[in-house]
Parts: sequence; C-alpha cells; structure tokens
Amino acid sequence: MEFFIKKENEKKREYDALVIGAGPAGLTAAIYIARGRFSVLVFEKVIPGGLAATTHLIENYPGFPEGVEGEELGRLMEKQARNLGVEFAMEEVVDVELEGEKKRVKTREGEYEGKAVVIATGSSHKKLGVPGEDKFTGKGVSYCATCDAPFYKDKKIAVVGCGNSGMQEGLYLLRFVRSIDFIEYFPYIPADRILQERVKKHENVKFHLNHQVLEIVGDERVEGVRVKKRDTGEEKVIEVDGVFIFAGLSPNTAFLNGKMELEDGYVVTDEFMRTSIPGVFACGDVRKKVLRQVATAVGDGAVCGASVVEYLEGR
Amino acid sequence: MRVIVFTAPGCPWCTRAKNYLRERGISFKEVDISRNPSAARDLVRMTGQTGVPVIVINGKPVVGFNKPLIDRLLGLK
Repeated sequence: MEFFIKKENEKKREYDALVIGAGPAGLTAAIYIARGRFSVLVFEKVIPGGLAATTHLIENYPGFPEGVEGEELGRLMEKQARNLGVEFAMEEVVDVELEGEKKRVKTREGEYEGKAVVIATGSSHKKLGVPGEDKFTGKGVSYCATCDAPFYKDKKIAVVGCGNSGMQEGLYLLRFVRSIDFIEYFPYIPADRILQERVKKHENVKFHLNHQVLEIVGDERVEGVRVKKRDTGEEKVIEVDGVFIFAGLSPNTAFLNGKMELEDGYVVTDEFMRTSIPGVFACGDVRKKVLRQVATAVGDGAVCGASVVEYLEGR
Repeated sequence: MRVIVFTAPGCPWCTRAKNYLRERGISFKEVDISRNPSAARDLVRMTGQTGVPVIVINGKPVVGFNKPLIDRLLGLK
C-alpha cells in the first residue's frame, strides 16, 4: 500500500480503490476495502444512500424493526465508511479509463487514479417513453414522491407501476393527495402482498390493471393519462392533475461511454463481482441481476469489497 | 445576500444543495414545503414547475441543484 503526504489544500488524486456511487452497494464495498486497510475514494453526485435515499421508508432491510428512512440509512452507512477512513468526492463522474494497471476516473472537477475501480452507480426510475412525459416532467410528471408530493396536496394523481416502489411511494403520496389511480401493465399487482394490503385499506385508491400508458395528456398542465386495456384494446383517459412514474429501473451507465460491455445497459459480472476488465468490479443495482433491493445491494457490496481486497493484495 | 432554499423531506437534491451552501459558507433560510402548502403554491407560480429544491438568491429562483447558475448568482468561483 502506498502512502501519500497530503499538503494543505492539495487534493489527493491517487487511491488504491475508486468507488463510483455511494448507494448501499458502493458504501458496503468501500467499508470492506477500508477494513482491508486500503485507501478508498467514493464518488457521489447527489448524497450518500443512492436511489434508496429517495424512499421515505425502507421496511425490508433487516435490523430496523420499524423501518428506516432511506436518507437516514444512507447517512448511517456514510458515517460507518468515514469512521474507517473512506474519503468522499461529491462529484459527478463523466468519463473513465479502465484498461491497464492504473485506472482513471474523470469528474467535472478533476481526475483521479486508482488500482481498482468499483462501479456502483445504481439505477434510476425508468421513463415510460410516451408522448407528454418529457413535456410535463417537473410540471406534473414526477419520479420522486418524497421530492414532489407536497405539490399535490388534495389533488388527484396517477401512479404508474404497482411494483414495490409504486406501492411504497403511493402510501407516502396518500398522506398528501385526494386520490390515486394506480396503473399497472401486468394483469396482477407485482408488489409484496403486505404493501398491497396497506394500499387497499385506503378508500381513495383505484387500480387499472393490465393497462398500458399511451400518453400523458394536457395543454398547459397535466389533465390526464390515456391508457389502453391490453386484452380488449379499449382506450380511456384517467383524469388526474399529476403522474408519478415507478415503472421499472434503468441502469446509470452512460458515463462508461461504451468502454465496457453491457447487457441491456447493465454491467455483467461473475459471482465475485468481477467485470470483464481486470481490476474493475461492479455491484448493486447497476449489475445484471434478478432482485434490486437494499439488502441485495449490500450483499453485492460485501462480495465486491472482499474481491477488491484480494485483487489489491495480488492474490 | 438573501438565500432561501425550498425543500421537502427525503429529497436528496435538496440535501445536496443545503450541504453545498454550507460548504461554501453561505447562510440561508430553509422552507419545508411539506409543512407549508402555500409555499408550494407560490413556487409553482414563481417557477411554473412542481419540484424542489428551489434556491432563491436575491429574488432569483434556481430550480434544481444547478451549480453553475448558483455559483454565478452567489458570485462564487
């Protein structure tokens, strides 16, 4: 391991490991690497916690019997990492050079070098790609309930997607809104039953299963969602003032600029979280996998951290 | 210099914006729109948008954590 003498005001630019993304996967990997006594820098463009930080309550991560706010969980993980000497750069990564022994990570603010790189950039809520969506984003169309719910006090809204995200965020939105029309592509509700039960206790919710969103309609503001029933082809407009979209995830891999092979946009790894490039690892939601949860991200992060330590030790 | 940050609880970019202002030593007033429905309505009127954070610097609203614009309005390099 190398030591660097840091002068005042001079930023250290070389680390043993560079971790891109401070969600649960990246932070867990960083904790494991730091415990192996290697230097780690974690890049984060928003705040530690990743997409989970936007969730008002995480109830399926063990250790928190009453659930934990996403932002709080991120803060606790960050604190644990900092206690171990993990450093943070609140900068957005825009490019990478991953081949060779020394990897480079470029942000808007500067360039950094590392012997190993961990890609833990997670995923974001996917756009539907329907007419009206871009036009009304931030003006009636939202992908973040905790951010935008107060704007919809006593209003009628639609939530697109009845997976765990849609139901969990729907429960939060119900504290503010007058009613929710849930729209689901599949003929069933994919969310955990415990969430379904809680949502269905509310009288001001309605489900439109087996419906595909065709368009978000409105002139100056959102006036409704045009949907099609998938089996009959019947179309209708559900009148709402706002639309929250939680219909699947999209990996945050644009910064790789085609420098790594992806599958459906996701990074492919082996069970040790190694990618096809030596010294480059990936963990969490950005990885090709079956279940994207805080618990699985943490599991990925642990395996990844251990693999990075092995790699850095030359084993 | 008068800086007001409109936020909602659990909004990550709001936390990022507040952290940034603190890092740069800028004092600000925070308005949580989930506790202040009229502020939410005012924001929609002011910006035409339904999102936070909104950082109002000397009366000029910045929607989202637009660092270059924030820096410019604050006179930071």
